[in-house]
Amino acid sequence: MSFIQLVLHELRAIVQDKAIAVTLFGGVLFYSVLYPLPYSYEVPTEQKLVVVDQDNSSLSRKVTRHADASPKLQVVAKLASLPEAQRWIELGKAHGVLHIPQGFRRDLMLNRGVTLGYGGDANFFLVYSAVIEGLVSVGRNAQQYVQFIGLLAKGNDPKVAKVTLNPIELNSVPVFNPNLGYMGYVVPGVLLLVLHQTLLIGTGILGAGQWRHSGYWSSVHPLQLVLGRLVAFGLIYSTFASYYLGWCAYFYGLRSLATLSQLALFMLPFLLATCAAGIAFSCAFVRRDLPTQFMLVISMPILFLTGFIWPLELIPEPLVMGSQLMPGVPGIMAIIKLNQMGAPWESVADVWLQLWGLFVLYFAIALIGVHWRRGQLEAH
Amino acid sequence: MLAMTSLIKRELKALWNDPWQLALISYIPLLGIFCIWWLFSAALPRHLPVAVVDMDNTSLSRSLTRRIEANPAARVLSYSDLASAKRAMLQADVYAMVVIPQSIRRDMLTGRQPGIDIRYNSQFLLVGKLLSSQIQQSLADGLRDVARQKQLSMGIPKVQAELQMQPLQTQVTALYNHNSNYVVFLLPPVLIALGQLMAMLIFANSLNRELRQNTMRDWFSHGIWRGIGVKAIVYVPLVVMQGRLILALLYQFLGLPLAGTFGQLLVAQLVMLVAIWLLVVAIFFLLQDCARVISFCSALFAPAFPFMGITFPTHDMPMLAQWWRKLMPSSHYIDSHIGLVSYGQAWPQLFEQLTDYWGYSLLIPLIIVLAIKVRDGIFADQNALAGGV
Repeated sequence: MSFIQLVLHELRAIVQDKAIAVTLFGGVLFYSVLYPLPYSYEVPTEQKLVVVDQDNSSLSRKVTRHADASPKLQVVAKLASLPEAQRWIELGKAHGVLHIPQGFRRDLMLNRGVTLGYGGDANFFLVYSAVIEGLVSVGRNAQQYVQFIGLLAKGNDPKVAKVTLNPIELNSVPVFNPNLGYMGYVVPGVLLLVLHQTLLIGTGILGAGQWRHSGYWSSVHPLQLVLGRLVAFGLIYSTFASYYLGWCAYFYGLRSLATLSQLALFMLPFLLATCAAGIAFSCAFVRRDLPTQFMLVISMPILFLTGFIWPLELIPEPLVMGSQLMPGVPGIMAIIKLNQMGAPWESVADVWLQLWGLFVLYFAIALIGVHWRRGQLEAH
Repeated sequence: MLAMTSLIKRELKALWNDPWQLALISYIPLLGIFCIWWLFSAALPRHLPVAVVDMDNTSLSRSLTRRIEANPAARVLSYSDLASAKRAMLQADVYAMVVIPQSIRRDMLTGRQPGIDIRYNSQFLLVGKLLSSQIQQSLADGLRDVARQKQLSMGIPKVQAELQMQPLQTQVTALYNHNSNYVVFLLPPVLIALGQLMAMLIFANSLNRELRQNTMRDWFSHGIWRGIGVKAIVYVPLVVMQGRLILALLYQFLGLPLAGTFGQLLVAQLVMLVAIWLLVVAIFFLLQDCARVISFCSALFAPAFPFMGITFPTHDMPMLAQWWRKLMPSSHYIDSHIGLVSYGQAWPQLFEQLTDYWGYSLLIPLIIVLAIKVRDGIFADQNALAGGV
């Protein structure tokens, strides 16, 4: 059998196996729609806020209006007491509360100091941070307004008054994901993880289904088989990778700062190492329903161990070290740095070499594994 | 009754002889729960690297740097020039960068209002946002000192200067999770998502076994409904025990606050598991192939976590995502879970939430139709074989 014939056999086996087809073609397409779906609106806005205004003065109403005007907040009700506000939150009718104490305006004017109360439902951190950020900026504006009026009343020059209040300006700007969107935060990494997991599952099911029966796979040398399988899956996954990193990135407005050649150069060992790892794993299974289950169970730990959601600095060292053997763990992070943050190639070069190292390692294990499975088949 | 006991025995024997299924019921969930807990055990983001480029090198700039250093969230790495700090940002060696410009002290003293630039990495949204607010808070505290001194030097009495600096105090309360603990926030939904996957696999495997070992006919001969029912009776309680284990870890071992009772949570879990069971049974009778059942169920249940609406709020998702969310039993459960754990809901509210699962009852007629079709198919094959002989 020539090498091209072998690759064609492989491709046919992949396409004709419905379990593999569901995972590879169905999964990759379906997830490219499903995973970004919840984040279409990028940032949470207009969170429902209830106001407990016990002051009922011109200033407290002004603060309430400012809160309603904030893009992050929407005042849904004015309530009489804090327990009532809590009930609204527990019923899901509101997610935050602003408490304005009695004597708010009078105390401020008398320079006595008052305390505004902000509360947010911290069961949902994104909602909580939106509520608090919105309220903090509203409160800061109110404070500056009062201070400014006070300084002016004392006969200060408006220009000087401004500087006295803020001797130094703080200018805090987000970089790499300028709109603070959730899409740009989660989706690039998750899409790469989908590529990684489906590739492992696809090679796993294909191998597990074949080992017990002789077929084209047992009539060629193990080295040839592993190479052929790498080429077949490589062909399919270079298409999938182009779809994810190209079309999907464009469609969802994800940044792609790496050059095409950099990305291609990095995806090469990423896909090869993953595919070789998949072939190596597949040698451990003879039941076609097991590879999927195994990969599914470990997919959530892998997701968090890549470090793009929860920082690696906070993950215990043994977990981080152990997970480095999985091509996706260092690979996904490096591609995010390269493509989302525009990191220079030198900063990911060691990961690139690590992926080639993993490729060699899993290639060797795959060879031994296929050889072993063939020996078993012949013994029967 | 005798048939029931013999079916249960048959199921338990099969379970004992299937090492993978046994693993899914025993040590895999233990390992998974332990790993996830260990992963998030830091609970609060601390000691995150921040680059500080101090171009001024005066008492003021050094005191501001110390302010950042004193913040538990940040760990200061000093850089002498902008280029190397920028490089560290690009490589994600640091998550934020603070640039204190040259002659900031002089400019401030002469009333020119200089600025301090903060850049934070929002690709890592969680860390970036946290650092941005923490650094700003630390610097604002430091700058308030400076402004206070300025006022005192102008002859304003101390008490008044204090008030003029900050007449408006704020009290921020993170309701239901007072110290913004990520273990409280993230661990329950992640473990529930993992538990749902385990339950799905266990149920699917128990059904698939009949296909794999070619025992469908034997299974059906005990009566379809009894066969399906016995599997539910055997496996649902086993999975409820896993759920109880998760609850024990969270609310007993780790001692996270729990307003409701374990009984209420277990009732909510039981209903979720019945919903998962119905989904898996329907898919099983629909596809009738081990690997395809597993692949399809995995594809369906794997993305359950983002749709729970914990990390990204449900009410900010588009309509389509909210519909898809309704398909996942875990998203129904998480609503009850939060209601019970945080809000201390009473039974009536819990029951009201549980009626939300009504959609799954539509699966029952589907299952009946599919199961009868599959049974007839198998017995027809058998008769054809018998006729052929």
